[in-house]
Formats: sequence, C-alpha cells, structure tokens
Amino acid sequence: MDFLHNPEFGDKLVTLMAAFVLVFQIAMVGQRSLIMNIRLFGAQSFLLAAIAAVIAHYNHAPHIYVAAVMTVLVKVILVPVLLERLVDRIEIRHEIEPIVNVPLSIVISGGLTLVAYIVGESFYHPETGAASLGHNTLAVAISVFLIGFFMMINRRKALTQVFALLTLENGIFLAAICLTYGMPLVVDLGVFFDVLVAVLVLGILVYRIRETFESMDVSKLRRLRG
Amino acid sequence: MGLLVFLLIPVVAAVLSAVAPTRRDMENANIAGFGVTFVLALLIAARVLRDGSVSLWDGFLYADHLSALVCLLTASVALVCSVYAVGYLREDESSGLLDDDARTAGGRLSPPVLLPSDEHRPPAAAKLRKYYVLTPLFVFAMLGVALANNLGVMWVAIEATTLASVFLVTFYGRVTSLEAAWKYAIIGGVGLSMALFGTVLVYYSGHRVVGMETLAGLNWSVLAGHAAQLDKTTMRLAFILALLGYGTKAGLAPMHTWKPDAYSEAPAPAAAILSSAMLNCALYGLVRFYILASRCLGPEFPGRLLLIFGMLSMGISVPFVLVQRNFRRLLAYHTIDHAGIMVTALGVGGKLGALALMLHMTYHTVAKSLLFLCAGNVSQHFKTDLFDKVKGGVIRAIPVTGAVFLMAMLAIVGMPPFSLFQSEFLIVRAAFGAGHYVPTALFILFGTGIFAGALLHVGGMVLGEGQTGGTACPASAWRDGSMLALAAALVTMAFWLPAPLLELIRGAAKVIAG
Repeated sequence: MDFLHNPEFGDKLVTLMAAFVLVFQIAMVGQRSLIMNIRLFGAQSFLLAAIAAVIAHYNHAPHIYVAAVMTVLVKVILVPVLLERLVDRIEIRHEIEPIVNVPLSIVISGGLTLVAYIVGESFYHPETGAASLGHNTLAVAISVFLIGFFMMINRRKALTQVFALLTLENGIFLAAICLTYGMPLVVDLGVFFDVLVAVLVLGILVYRIRETFESMDVSKLRRLRG
Repeated sequence: MGLLVFLLIPVVAAVLSAVAPTRRDMENANIAGFGVTFVLALLIAARVLRDGSVSLWDGFLYADHLSALVCLLTASVALVCSVYAVGYLREDESSGLLDDDARTAGGRLSPPVLLPSDEHRPPAAAKLRKYYVLTPLFVFAMLGVALANNLGVMWVAIEATTLASVFLVTFYGRVTSLEAAWKYAIIGGVGLSMALFGTVLVYYSGHRVVGMETLAGLNWSVLAGHAAQLDKTTMRLAFILALLGYGTKAGLAPMHTWKPDAYSEAPAPAAAILSSAMLNCALYGLVRFYILASRCLGPEFPGRLLLIFGMLSMGISVPFVLVQRNFRRLLAYHTIDHAGIMVTALGVGGKLGALALMLHMTYHTVAKSLLFLCAGNVSQHFKTDLFDKVKGGVIRAIPVTGAVFLMAMLAIVGMPPFSLFQSEFLIVRAAFGAGHYVPTALFILFGTGIFAGALLHVGGMVLGEGQTGGTACPASAWRDGSMLALAAALVTMAFWLPAPLLELIRGAAKVIAG
C-alpha cells in the first residue's frame, strides 16, 4: 500500500484524470444529444471531485475534501437532475444544432487546447516547487475554459448555452485546485451557491423562453435592437 | 458589529416583505429598511473618516474610504428609489399594467410564485411582492460587494447582484423582457466567469507571498500591502481577466450589449438602481484589481488597457445616442458612455485622475438615477418609451417632470454650472497633463457628440410641439417628492459639496492613487 503515500503517484493520478476531464469536454462539443450532454457534464464534474479528493489526500489539506463533497452534491447530483427535469418539462425533440459542424468544432477544440498549453507553460516555475502539478493540469483547465467559450458561441439553443457556462465554471474550479489547492472554503461555498442559483434562474428563463417563443433558439430573440 | 448590522438590514427588509400580508406593509418594510440602511451608511462613513478604516472578523468585512463612499451612494439611491417605487408601482397597478400579461404572446406567462398564498391572488400582488423582495436582496448584494475584503467573496457578491436582479428585468413579463433578461444573465455570467479566473490567479500569485493557510490570502487589504512582491506574469493575466469580467458587468464596450435592453425593460426605479449603484459596484471591483495591478506592475500597463476600453465605450455610444428613438435606451447608452468616462479617468491615473473618478462617480450616481426616475414619469404619463409617440410637450403636460428632466439632461452631458462639468473637466486636465493627447482629443470629440445627440432628442421631447394631453396619470407625491429631492441634491452639488463628503471622496481617491 505504498502508493497511497507516494505523492508522485498522486500527481500521475491527477494528470490522468485531468486528461479525462478534457476528453469529456471535447466529447460534449461533439455530442448532439441534450441528455448525453448533461450526463457528460455530470461525469466531468465527478472527475473534478475525484481530483480534489486525491489532492486533499496527498497534500493533507482537509478543507479540499469539503470542496469535493460539495462538487458531488451540487454538480454531479443536483444540477444534472434539475437540468434533466427541465429537458423533460420543455419536451425538446430536437438535438443540438451547432453553428460550426461537429468535425470542424473538434478541430477548433484541439487548436484551443494547444493555445491553452502555450499559456499554461508561462506559469510553470519548476524552481519554486509550489504547485508544480500545475503544469499539465493547468493547461487542461485553461483548455476546458476556452472550449467552454467556444461552445457558448457555437450554440444557438438557450439550454445548451447553460451547459457551456457550467463547463466554464468547471475549468476555473480545476485551475483553482491545481494552482492553489483550492480557493478558501468560504469562497468555494459562495461559488457553489451562486452556481446553483444561476442554474435555477437560467432554468426558469429557459422554460419561459420556450413557452413564449415555442423555441429555445436564442437567434429568435431579436426584438431589441439599437 | 456595525458593518454586520448594516449588511443585514436589507435582508431583514426582504424577509419582512416576503411575509407581509398587504401591499402597504411591503412598501413600509422597504422604505423603513432602506431608511435605516442610509442612516447606518452615514454612520459608517463618519467612522471611516474618524478612524481611517473599519473592519470586522479579522478583516473579513472591511471598509475604507472607497467602500464607505460606494456604500453611501448605494444606500442613498436605494432609499430614493424605494420611495419612488411606491408611487410608480401603485400607478402601474391601477392602470392595469400588472394585472395580466396582455402584452405577451398568447398571454401564457405567469410570474413565478414566491409565496404559496399568492397563488390565488391576482398576478399584480405576486409581481409587487417580487419587486419588494428582490430589490432589498439586490441592495444587500451590492453592499456586500463594497464591504467584502476577500476578493473571492467580492466576486460571489457581484455574481449575486446579477442573480438578484434578473427577475427585476423580467418584471413586466413581456416577450422583450425575457430577451433582455436572457442576455443580461448569460453575458453577465460569462463575463464574470473571467473575473473569477482572474481572482484565482491573484490568489495564486498571492499565496506564495502571503501564505495560503487562511482566508486572509485573498484579502485585498493584505494583498495590497504585498502587491510589489506578487508574480508579474500572473498579475498581468489576472488584471486582463478582471477587466474583461467586471468590465462586462459595468457595460464597457464591446461587452455592453445587454445594457440598453435590461435598462429599458426593468421598471423605472429598478433601472435607476441598475444604472447608478450597480455600475458603481462593478467599477469598484475593477478599481480594487487596478490598485493591485498598478502597485505590482506600475500604472502604465493597466492604465493603457483601461484607456482603450474607455475610448471604445465612449465612441460606441455616440452613434447610438444620435439615432436613438427610445428615451430609456438613450439613457442606457449614456450610462455606457459614462462607464467609459470613469474607466478613462482610472486609466489616466495619478492623484488627479483618481480624484476625478471619485467625483464623477458621485455626481453621475445622482444625475443618472434622477434621469431614470424622470423617464419613468414620462413613460407612465404617455404610456410609451418612444420619442415619436411623446412628440414633445412634456413641459406642458407634466411641467415639473419636464423641467427636471431637461435640467438633469443638461447636467449629465456636462453643462456648467452642474458638477459633472467639473469632474469631466478634471479628467481632461489630468489626461492632458499626463501626456495622453490622443485620448484627450477623442474624449472631447465623443463628449461633443453625446452632448448634441442627447440635447437634440430630450430637448425636442420636453420643449417641442406635440400632444399636450397624454392619457394623464394622476400626480403622485411619492414619485414627484423623490424626484425633487434628487433634483435638489443635484443643484446643491453644483455649488456646494458638504465638507465631510468631499473628505470622503478625497480619501477614496487616496486609496486608489496611494
């Protein structure tokens, strides 16, 4: 049971899981079904919670366990359940119709990952030692953030923009975990609370947009101009 | 303890409004709550003037001159608007605007039910409750922004201001309100996510210096003390992200597109709070990051970025003001212009720039909230927000509102003797003195364009020929009284600024410029 106390093993585990976080993010770009998107988001959040727990274990930082538990509660259970219910209520039959087609979107995501690695490199200071696991994981966090932005622009449906916003937040959470072993607990709790309320607020809006316009296509929201 | 009580009073007002049985009780809870908040804001300002800064719980809540000024401005706007809202919403209710959603497609929208007991009441009651519960929560979030020392908590509070005000934008339940609220929530959310990333980076660059064991690692007062030792690459990126994020919230171009929509859809008193107090809060967040960045990197780098965004915001608002047909949207573009002006002042920096920023923030808060209250009166009287339909004659139909509207418009475009001339002149002087010749020239050019556009439209609307009758709505002491009180403040400030307020403004400028 030596590996349980070997920090190098922890680093490798975290890097591996971070790679899967990125895989899920790109899968979300490629995936056209709404329900699958929600499940992928749930899986991605679960990996984030696992990363947080591993870091908490190997760095003896108990407050990160709380962040991990909160992630599971809010982003793995509560938010996906709320969103799936919303999808049921508004009876969407259509799939996601991205503006840029899927193969090209995935190529663009790859390009954004490259950009993220270049940006992440500038934060790598091996000599200081602090938060050295930042290197790979930070690049993943930045790519998740950038791909989230791309998803936001690439999608017309109101609900799918909500997913994009949530993945943006996942990217930031990963960055916070790998750079500084998580934000202070009070801040984390506040952010989780905001995420939850934001999902509720946006959910109500999506529902009412659907009711009013018989559609969730935000490109139909164009009465206000000038 | 004072700070905590101050912060919690609006929450108490919100809870009381949520359980109040009648409309009158909700109104009273709001006015009383904001009245107490205003008095406490004065007391806190007085304590800050005496002691330099106030803090609670190891600096978790912290107020220096800058926060005390922002709190005071927020509390005064909230108080005036709560008085105005009584008259405004009663008029809306009696004119049947809240009863059904006649203006929505198919009339299928129903307001969210906050209390089960509201379910069987007419929709107007539920809408009123929504307004009177959400407004104090909105104010609570804004006061939280100003008092939070921890940059992460400040971010949470700024995000909370968006969440609390989204349903104020959808108040009337029109199709267009939904569109406005969606843009507001999504653009605001994406923008603020950048600011959160910026906050994470500040924490990262700080925790090597300050130590990461406690909450204090993100406390602004601690970071500001060690700003020179922070990692420069990280701080550069952090400032850019914070500028984009809080700039979105402040409505700087090109992230401004939500602003005209949200301001023209929200009820007039809520729009007044959005355009003055919430703008201040967003700028406040930006200022805190600016201070850290300029102490770490020198004022050059953040200053140049701020100037670019300031010029862009001022420039973009000019054509939209010139061709505008809706007067509430005109005011919104004005707010974009003034956000640009304030950011320019911050970018110019130095003692003079910081002083100009603080003066301008104070004057703008009074003038812009007054303008939205006047616009609310006009749109309730003429039942429209369009210049074409009002067709002039405001001064004959509702003389008091007409005169005040014109006066406030003259003030906001920087006409002497009003005080905004003074602060804008100070910005020009500071910019010219610092050698920013191109921005100075552009500043004057854009200012002239705004001046022409605004006077053309509002002058025509107030003084021009046109319908005189309108569908008269009865004058209301609530609306006219609160409007005249603000007008009196605007006129007074043109000639005389109370010494303690001036000292607070100078103190705030000193916090920025060091």
